Amino acid sequence: MAVSKSEGAMIELKIDNQIVEVQEGETVLQVALRSGIEIPSFCYHPCMSIAGNCRICLVQVNGRPKLMPACNLPVTPGMEIETHSNAVIEARKAIMQFISLNHPGDCGICDKAGECKLQEYHMRYGDYDPLSIEPKSRMPKFYNLSERILLDNERCILCSRCVRFTREISKTNQLGIVERGSHSRVERLECATFDDPYSDNVVVNCPTGALLSRDFLYKSRIWYLETVRSICTGCARGCSVNVWRRNKNWYVRGSGADKNLLAYRISPLDNPEINGPWLCNKGFDLHKLTAKPRVLAPAIAGRDVTIDEAIEAARQMLADAKKPAAIVSAHASNEELETFKNALGDRVAIYTRQDYQPEAGEVVEDSFLIKADKNPNSYSVQALFGNQPFDAGKGHDLVLLWGDNLDYASLGGARVIHLSSFEESQEQPASVLIPISTFFERSGSFCNFEGTRNNFEKVFDKPTLVQHAGDLFGRL
Amino acid sequence: MSCLTDKFDQVASTYPPEMRPSLVLPLLHLMQKEKKHLSEVDAIFIADYLGVPSMQVKEALTWYTMLYRQPVGKHVIKICRTIACSLMGAERLINYLEAKLGIKAGETTPDGLFTLIAVECLASCGTAPAMQIDDTYHEQLTEAKIDQILKELS
Amino acid sequence: MTDARVFFNFEVTADSHTLSAYKSRGGYQALEKALKGMQPIDVENEVKASGLRGRGGAGFATGVKWSFVNKQSPVIYLCCNADEGEPGTYKDRWIFEHSPHQLIEGMILASYALHVRHAFIYIRGEFDLPWRRLLVALKEAREAGYLGENILGSGYSCDLIPHQGGGAYVCGEESSLISSLEGFKGYPKNKPPFPAVKGLYEAPTVINNVETLANVPWIIANGAATYAEMGTEKNKGTKIFGVSGHVVKPHLMELTLGYPLKKVIYEDCGGILGGKALKAVIPGGSSSPILKASEIENITLDIETVAAAGSMLGSGAIIVIAEGTCMVRLLQVLTRFYAHESCGQCTPCREGTAWMNKIVTRISQGKGRKGDIESLECITKGIMGNTVCALGDAAAMPVVNFVKKYRDEFEYFIEHGRSMNDGRLEI
Repeated sequence: MAVSKSEGAMIELKIDNQIVEVQEGETVLQVALRSGIEIPSFCYHPCMSIAGNCRICLVQVNGRPKLMPACNLPVTPGMEIETHSNAVIEARKAIMQFISLNHPGDCGICDKAGECKLQEYHMRYGDYDPLSIEPKSRMPKFYNLSERILLDNERCILCSRCVRFTREISKTNQLGIVERGSHSRVERLECATFDDPYSDNVVVNCPTGALLSRDFLYKSRIWYLETVRSICTGCARGCSVNVWRRNKNWYVRGSGADKNLLAYRISPLDNPEINGPWLCNKGFDLHKLTAKPRVLAPAIAGRDVTIDEAIEAARQMLADAKKPAAIVSAHASNEELETFKNALGDRVAIYTRQDYQPEAGEVVEDSFLIKADKNPNSYSVQALFGNQPFDAGKGHDLVLLWGDNLDYASLGGARVIHLSSFEESQEQPASVLIPISTFFERSGSFCNFEGTRNNFEKVFDKPTLVQHAGDLFGRL
Repeated sequence: MSCLTDKFDQVASTYPPEMRPSLVLPLLHLMQKEKKHLSEVDAIFIADYLGVPSMQVKEALTWYTMLYRQPVGKHVIKICRTIACSLMGAERLINYLEAKLGIKAGETTPDGLFTLIAVECLASCGTAPAMQIDDTYHEQLTEAKIDQILKELS
Repeated sequence: MTDARVFFNFEVTADSHTLSAYKSRGGYQALEKALKGMQPIDVENEVKASGLRGRGGAGFATGVKWSFVNKQSPVIYLCCNADEGEPGTYKDRWIFEHSPHQLIEGMILASYALHVRHAFIYIRGEFDLPWRRLLVALKEAREAGYLGENILGSGYSCDLIPHQGGGAYVCGEESSLISSLEGFKGYPKNKPPFPAVKGLYEAPTVINNVETLANVPWIIANGAATYAEMGTEKNKGTKIFGVSGHVVKPHLMELTLGYPLKKVIYEDCGGILGGKALKAVIPGGSSSPILKASEIENITLDIETVAAAGSMLGSGAIIVIAEGTCMVRLLQVLTRFYAHESCGQCTPCREGTAWMNKIVTRISQGKGRKGDIESLECITKGIMGNTVCALGDAAAMPVVNFVKKYRDEFEYFIEHGRSMNDGRLEI
């Protein structure tokens, strides 16, 4: 278990001749990480047990010749730590030699280049010329741990982060280190696949290119990309994520320009209040969610029209309706919901729903991150409008349907104004169909199942004819 | 497998109940006595019996040198190659055994009778050179003694 | 100076390991004495006063180790380290084969001192006769009422559970032993916390060597002062030494600490095989630095003197090497051993032992290259002190010392592609 920051007494010690105030129960590495003092580490992870196997965090204590690993070094009063003494620098060089002794020089073809801790530390702490003239050991290379994850045992430095993740965090125990000594390697059970619902976290956690995402494989060098803060809409946990898109200085011109509108990959964004540094596989697939075929053009009864024609038709229908209703989307942002309430709150009967239900084969709920409610903003919908499932028996003649995944036929024969993002097949076309933006195309916020508010930012511009739902309500 | 679990129960009863995971290695030994060599399926069987993760038992199976994951012959000859035995002629005797059996260390004779493995220190240093066949130690070895021992086992 | 023997004080026969034989030579009287008239802390103090130090190789003061344990803890474990694996060492198996009750009695006494209810004997899996005799002895002891509930009516209960290892030298390291006993691979643990604070299943645990524990009955029966009369100022009592290698009569002997090393080789063991000259001695098991013949002139067998000579008393495994032995090929036997036994957990040992073995093997096959010796020196510097457990140091020590003291042999092998001494290991 990680050493917890217990309510210990405050004590003073010296790190690199600077006096630092620390809490009893902390380790020297924890102190360094939160104070911006440089001590390298591979195997340490704040949320997992201390492994102490990489040995790169060795520091000098009170001038003694035997160096100690900072990750497992409890602070004591009057301690004097040196992080850059000659002994420490020599030790780091030696450790880097050992770590990269059998590491293949794959950087040119390895996805991890540019975000690889091994590369970074090699340049910073290692020797340029390797000492070894022995041929490098061969290991199982570049094979499927599952259909999502690739494992390359030659690149692995056996820090055990992935193993500890499946043991302590996702608790599936699907990864382990087998064999002894220099034959050690990470492996899964032969008779099973690595189908841990949180498997992709090991790719983020791996300090080298040993574990890679098949989905992201060879799509881009990461230095062409940048991150945008967003939220996963896969369930009501609303984990914070980073969406990776192309940096505009690296935009592709000519053919392939569609890459500039591509969400290359998703990674967790550390949010101590909601998901910590973790994300489930559905979250890692968020970019697939938003890449489904879109509704791109307004239509009246299936016939393409201009946006103004569509809005006018909708407005007219709402005004004429005897018993209009609206079904609110649980994927709507807080801002959109506010606007809706102000513009239409008094004019229509408001119903709520959970747009998406768990699908067959999907984890419904677990004791870690995944919630049964597969929608990001049910909390706010409930807070504003209560819980009102649509009643077809109430005789509504017009329904303003906001969101997707609902069969028009279940609306009791009412005419439908559909504010829709994703293409879907219906028996009859909607009376009015207005394409609306996804949360990737605007900024806003959701409230997760605990009511914690979280912000997301715009990743891409919306397609030309697509509207922001929030802009529409005032015009209806 | 049910008589195997009876044997498992019997060993388990000699340990305090709160130390159930400690049974991983004893049960692996027990199972290997029955099956001569073990595979992942056996590791999972033991894991399920003990209520520990399958991967934990699989890791142990691959880490301890006394556990075999490949088929072995009727008799496993483990000849020591560490320092005291080397000083007393272990290399000569290993070459002798390889020539006599017609196999290299790590292999099994075609008739399935003997597997030859070169192992590390057996703690018979004062009576070197030494080897262990199955459970039995044979010490102060000479070529003649080896001939005699193997003859009796054939 | 008494010449008392703690172990070799009876004639070994076909029955000398049985309970009746043990009792006839005074066995279990110490246990009766302790359970009837001593408190646990008295037993600990007696062991402390005796000056007994660990006999497995580390030489830590036994009574002091016991005192680190918080006796108020709800559960405390004692584990006997019988994973005798240090190359050259074969003394603990003698205790199992010929006087197992001495260990059992010692463990019950230690358990009493430490408030232990369940104690373990982690015995290496390869041992056959020692294991069988241990099981028989435990059965005898249980049936005689020395183990189990309410021992000798004292109210104290204790059980000893025998547990076989799986073939791993590293499991002789105490935290590795604990990992193995907990049902995992024998990965050593980072310290702190130390086993006496947080060990087996996170309970305070004491790990002692077989010989260490088997000394306890004698100390309780005869008194700490009597024990402390033997040996040197800092290294009290007697120790079992096992000689192997190029001597006429390799065997085990129990010697008072401070006994001269030369006497062991030339008198007690009949001198070097074939009348050859002595080349080198490894005094304390393969992990202890090798000493050239010229360096052993005045060495007496006690921890301080051997340390002062630049080596270690270690496990008491004296390996004798005669003139004509090829030191390069001998080192290769050792580097192969450590590379095979490295558990694989931490970087310097996992990669370093394999690397050193590759280099030394290459040299010993005539494929040495210029710079190999410098590489070896660099690698040992990178390993020593930087590993989770002492196996890294144990692997590096032979390389450091063989290369330092026999550099000419390595240089010759590299330059000429063959050994300076026709590659002999055997006489």
